Amino acid sequence: MPEALSPTRQMLARLWSYREARFGITLLAIFAAIAIYAPFLSGEVALVWKDQSGLTLPIFADLFNRRSYPKPHDLLFNLIALALPFLAVGWFLLRRRWSAGRRLAIGGGLIVLAWIACQVPLLPSQGQWQELWRNRPLSPCTSNAYHEAAGQTTLAIFPPVPHRFDTTYPGSSLKAPMTRNEATGARFWLGTDAGGRDVLAQMCFGARISLTVGIFATGLSLLIGTIIGAMSGYFGGWVDLVLQRVVEIMMCFPTFILILVVVAMVGREIFVIMLVIGLTSWAGTARLVRGEFLGQSVRDYVTAAEALGLPRWRIMFRHILPNALTPLIISATFGIAGAVGIESGLAFVGLGDPTSSSWGILMEAGRQNIRYAWLIYVPGLAVFALVTALNLVGNALREALDPKGTR
Amino acid sequence: MFAYIVRRLLLMIPTMLGILIINFLVLRMQSPSLVEQAQAGGSGKGGEGVSSERKAGGASKQYANHIDRFRRLGNDLPAVVNLRGFLDKDDVVAWLRRTSPAAGRTDSQRSTAEQDLWLAGHYAVGPLSDVLADPALADLYGPASQAFALCAHTSLVPADQRDPIRVNVVRTRNQVLAQNVIGYRSDRLQGFVTDDSRAEAKRQALLAVYADPANRVDYAASGGQRWRSILFETGFSTFLTRLFTGTLVSESRPNQYVFSIIADHWKLTFCLNILSIALAWGFSIPLGIRSARRLNTLEDRATTNLLFLLWSLPSFFIGTVLLHHFCTDSVKDGVLQPAWFPNAGLSSAGSLWYSTPRYLLDLAWHGALPLLVLSYASFTSLSRYMRGNLLDQFEADYVRTARAKGASEDGIVYRHALRNSLLTMITLGAGLLAELFSGVLIVELIFSIPGLGWLLLDAAKQQDAPLLMGSTVISVGLLLIGILVADILYAVVDPRLRSRYA
Repeated sequence: MPEALSPTRQMLARLWSYREARFGITLLAIFAAIAIYAPFLSGEVALVWKDQSGLTLPIFADLFNRRSYPKPHDLLFNLIALALPFLAVGWFLLRRRWSAGRRLAIGGGLIVLAWIACQVPLLPSQGQWQELWRNRPLSPCTSNAYHEAAGQTTLAIFPPVPHRFDTTYPGSSLKAPMTRNEATGARFWLGTDAGGRDVLAQMCFGARISLTVGIFATGLSLLIGTIIGAMSGYFGGWVDLVLQRVVEIMMCFPTFILILVVVAMVGREIFVIMLVIGLTSWAGTARLVRGEFLGQSVRDYVTAAEALGLPRWRIMFRHILPNALTPLIISATFGIAGAVGIESGLAFVGLGDPTSSSWGILMEAGRQNIRYAWLIYVPGLAVFALVTALNLVGNALREALDPKGTR
Repeated sequence: MFAYIVRRLLLMIPTMLGILIINFLVLRMQSPSLVEQAQAGGSGKGGEGVSSERKAGGASKQYANHIDRFRRLGNDLPAVVNLRGFLDKDDVVAWLRRTSPAAGRTDSQRSTAEQDLWLAGHYAVGPLSDVLADPALADLYGPASQAFALCAHTSLVPADQRDPIRVNVVRTRNQVLAQNVIGYRSDRLQGFVTDDSRAEAKRQALLAVYADPANRVDYAASGGQRWRSILFETGFSTFLTRLFTGTLVSESRPNQYVFSIIADHWKLTFCLNILSIALAWGFSIPLGIRSARRLNTLEDRATTNLLFLLWSLPSFFIGTVLLHHFCTDSVKDGVLQPAWFPNAGLSSAGSLWYSTPRYLLDLAWHGALPLLVLSYASFTSLSRYMRGNLLDQFEADYVRTARAKGASEDGIVYRHALRNSLLTMITLGAGLLAELFSGVLIVELIFSIPGLGWLLLDAAKQQDAPLLMGSTVISVGLLLIGILVADILYAVVDPRLRSRYA
């Protein structure tokens, strides 16, 4: 090796050297891009619109219109879509000054802060802000308007799928792929479902749901699992005994049934589903972290930290945890795959969020209209591809992070 | 061995308790308030909140129906500690005052207090009658009579229904109570105003009901009963009693006991699970052995990659695809092409009259695809473990010794290595079972097999809490039994464990 690379760099280089990993990461990047830039890929609002009054980019105004995107996770993704180019530039410019972790934390923090700021006008208050926010006019520059006012507009560029994911197009129920929409002449690239909604548009926005559920549910389960596993492994004694029993109970619990009961009784919002998946799937992580902590807590550096009189939480989370991250990262990858599968499965059995378009709900439509192959294959293959990509990356990570493989 | 089994059984208690507590919490969280229920089921006028004028009689009858529903599941009782046995007149007066409009009290606070009072049950009847008997509290007569009628409303439990005289007595008494609710209105400034012309007569009628010793038996409680009620007349204890005596009644299928519904359904799921375990093991153990013996050959790598892909395939996708291609009739060139496999159920319509071999054939025809979908997901993990275990065993000293003494390769694999690696396969069974119980839900839904999973889904969609709880508990019970069997099997084949607990 010409120059000494940091262990992280070495690991990343090793990871990139696996063909499966390259394939998986590319696939994941494509899914993420589709999810983030879904409004630019499918929607009725024009990307570019030029008429007598001049040239406009109506899509950007529409991104933050709560009437077009009422769901909070859509808003988050729209924010990311807008901020991503700037963040990328910042990432590049600050590469020598700030570490990757710091850049990542600050970028993520900015997005989350902006998202919270966007929620504020929705808080119950008697201001005109709320009214202003809620009653913003919808963009007039839609594909329908373009079609009706043929000739007056000189130029309009629409997303490749000029249909909204939640709009019912009259007279186009269960149309085969490539059928034309009678009203506008645009094509339904992947057909429509029983309600006359465009399948491809639903797929683009469904990617958002899958990724949100996967990441947030896994994040929650990692958090719980790490805390419980760390306490169990570091304190030992009766704490360990009690926590291990809890973990054992969770391990042999049919999680899917539990999630199903809670979701059926409490509510079918996507956030309830996320929360419940996160709250029930931490047992494996806890066990992993406990094992790592058991091994690490007898090391000399821990004894040294204890001799210095550092508080215990600091020893646990600042000193030991970074040394136990390897299995956590691997289990997170598989965890996301599992959460995506559970979410689609829930929607498939008819307990998904009926107000949002997820892949599982499309799949359920396919089960109910069993003769229409595109309703089965399109969402099914998408779930398959996402899960495979995550599993491939997880496998490659396991090999890349394995200290035995370092030579 | 006995000690081992007992130990395993003890470990299962917290799991079972965990599922019971979660079920109970979900049940309590889900139940809407009395006013909401009355509004949803009522005829519009009856269930108007506290703020507006309330007509006596009709509303009370309507609420009484919903109180019956609350009592069926024990939702009228406090969750874990019941102190209602020690209510006295002052408590009840304070409670009634909390339901009156006053500055700083929101409507929702008032209606919550009102609902709690109405659900307080027979312990509150005595104190309420004291309120009605006290001339100083004339402004409270209206709400007190309403609460009196609802608290004294007796729900007919199944034991009562066998006795026609008792049914008659209870119905008549409930009617008398409902008819004698004193009309009142609640005013922002004046508080409660009794505005019923027949108030005095109604009050006397209500007091007479309580004064009758025959009725008093139902309302008054002895000291011992009060103390016992602290722990044994609570939501949780009612829930446990209903569950363990099998008296949970389904809400979406009226007048059916939950466990009798489940009894019609669980066998299918049980058989599917057993067969699918057999299929998964029967397929993946030979596959694992073959892969391990041909380590790093083209075949080994191909199997590994294929199984990896299979592992990532969601079972609902595979199931739906199979249903689409093999279980759906199609029309080709104007000719109807019948499907290869049936698309619903586990047996044909007339299969009861088939001869035994034909019946079994029919069963296999129906069950082939569901079984395949149920078990393919475990092929990967099982055969990977088998391969890994066997490879570990091949490096062990005893295998080298066996080689040195000239044992044949087959003998080494099947007589020495396999027996040791099968041991760990049994422990995998427990984890596999939990996955199976989730998988069976999806498979039963896709192939319309009326098993336990199908029932559970049905209950979940209809929000039928008792049925959902019953089928969850039975599912988890079956799962725990399966895990216990795996543990016992492990002890049977592992001499080390046997000797430790000998």
